[in-house]
Amino acid sequence: MSIVTAGMVARKHTDPWRWAGRIFLALLLIFSVLPMVWMILTSVKTQFAALQYPPQWWPQSPTLEQYTTLLNPTSSVGQEFLTYLWNSIWVCTVTTILGVMIAVPAAYAFSRFRFPGRQWLFYAVLLRNMFPAVVFLMPLFILMRYLHLVNTGWSLVLTYLTFGLPLSIWLLKGFYDNIPVQLEQAARIDGATRFQAFLLVVMPLSSPGIIATAIYSFIICWNEYVYALTFLNDQDKLTLPVGLQRFFTEYATNWPGLMAASFIMSVPVVAMFLILQKYFVRALTEGAVKS
Amino acid sequence: MAIATTQTAVSGLERRPPRRPSLFRRIKEHWADYLYILPAIGVMVLVIGYPVYYTIYLSFFKTPPSLSMDQKTFTGLDNYALILTSSSFRDTTINTAIWTFFSTLFAFVLGLGAALALNREFVGRGLIRGLLLIPYVISAVAASYVWRWLYHSDFGVIGAIAVALHLSDHPINFLDNVHTVLPSLIVVNIWKEFSFAMIMMLAGLQTVPDQLHRAAMVDGAGPWDRFWHITMPHLKGVTLVTVLLMLVANLNGFTIPWIMTGGGPAGASDIWITQVYQLAFGRIRFGPASAYSVILFIVMMVLGYFYVRALGGREEREE
Repeated sequence: MSIVTAGMVARKHTDPWRWAGRIFLALLLIFSVLPMVWMILTSVKTQFAALQYPPQWWPQSPTLEQYTTLLNPTSSVGQEFLTYLWNSIWVCTVTTILGVMIAVPAAYAFSRFRFPGRQWLFYAVLLRNMFPAVVFLMPLFILMRYLHLVNTGWSLVLTYLTFGLPLSIWLLKGFYDNIPVQLEQAARIDGATRFQAFLLVVMPLSSPGIIATAIYSFIICWNEYVYALTFLNDQDKLTLPVGLQRFFTEYATNWPGLMAASFIMSVPVVAMFLILQKYFVRALTEGAVKS
Repeated sequence: MAIATTQTAVSGLERRPPRRPSLFRRIKEHWADYLYILPAIGVMVLVIGYPVYYTIYLSFFKTPPSLSMDQKTFTGLDNYALILTSSSFRDTTINTAIWTFFSTLFAFVLGLGAALALNREFVGRGLIRGLLLIPYVISAVAASYVWRWLYHSDFGVIGAIAVALHLSDHPINFLDNVHTVLPSLIVVNIWKEFSFAMIMMLAGLQTVPDQLHRAAMVDGAGPWDRFWHITMPHLKGVTLVTVLLMLVANLNGFTIPWIMTGGGPAGASDIWITQVYQLAFGRIRFGPASAYSVILFIVMMVLGYFYVRALGGREEREE
């Protein structure tokens, strides 16, 4: 009863705050969304319509011409764009699969075993987040040249693996920490080997963690630019971010085309993210925040 | 004691061995555990350990433009002297500080505000959170081109809006002006990453116990008091980790300045990281670029030390 009245009194008090919060959110929403709205609006204009002053606030004769050109394998622009798209898909799929395969056993070991050096190794893994990418660029470039991997997708796979790994390991460790050891012990009493117990008991329970890890690695890979810029030269090897830059230098005034390409490039990650938002948010906040 | 340790080794799932035998012995007993982390460690050593070592090593050498490393010559600390005394170093450092500080500050404040506003149930909450997160998820390259188009000196929509609102009588040239270029880039960076702070703080807010708020309300504390005396103390750890991660991300923020201005005009948006890249892959001078990286690296390691301490402190308190 007293709590109820206190709540009511407080509600009267918080009303201006609540309104301030709503207005703040609305402004922030405009700030976040408008640039993307303008990207889409520009992408359906003709080049002539885009380069007008004052701008056409709403496209007068919307056209999908830019999209059909980009996705048409017989046009030279389309061929180029689809190659970049395919390269990105290939690199990121391979990276994601390998990343999960490496992160799962490592995270399991960090969660379950108490081997010497465990704490130290774990922090070393986490510290990867702190290193500036450029510190690695020159030696890795030399290393990739030595391994004859420059200008191949594998140089990127190898590099991107380490981007996702620290967070993947940390995230998955959190999942394994929450799976009771007794479940495995029960399975082992029933005659399962440790590996079977892991595969049949722990793995299914940690699948949300694995999904989160995989999305996270994929998105990081999809958006990565610096290494792709440095390691790849041949036009038919480029991934989308570098490809987009090439587009810009080649067709400098075609802003609608560039906006359409940016839009197509954003669709997979945004879709993946919106569908699996919960996991992605968890991937980002896990570790720093534990409830 | 021998029995106790053997049991631990056999079951392996106990939380902690009862007593600590010698390090060598423990490593020997746990050798199989290392197999699980071997692939991860292998990749890490190859792609992190070796490059860190090699960057430091290279920073003491003069490298030929052909990059054939057997022709490099040892020059001691010359590269460091070259960087630290170069005419642009001071300006670039100031730019880096401005870029890092203001990006982090504003992105954090906006993120915290959004988190506080979103920290209650209402219709459309998930949708708003999702929409706010989109800039964080999309590629920095795509975002940079979108903003270049928004800032375009003749046909940019921001300039046109400014004219329509009579804030300016002609479209504003944001990116080719030494005074506006850095703030313009910082706005893009804030747009891109404030939602990272938002979800971190939102996750942090969910750990603040409701009872404390109710108790404070009964005692007559207003929303402002409750924010400062209950919410903020609870968020100290998350705030520290979030701010450190954002500082590092901004010090490393290469893509936005590189795509949007390439450091120009006249170096007005040049920061450390773009200078290092320009030095290494524009002018193919790996030696000085390595020295520059090492300087950056030291700054980063200091932040890294606090990061690990912030995280370590949290772990200990939990156990």
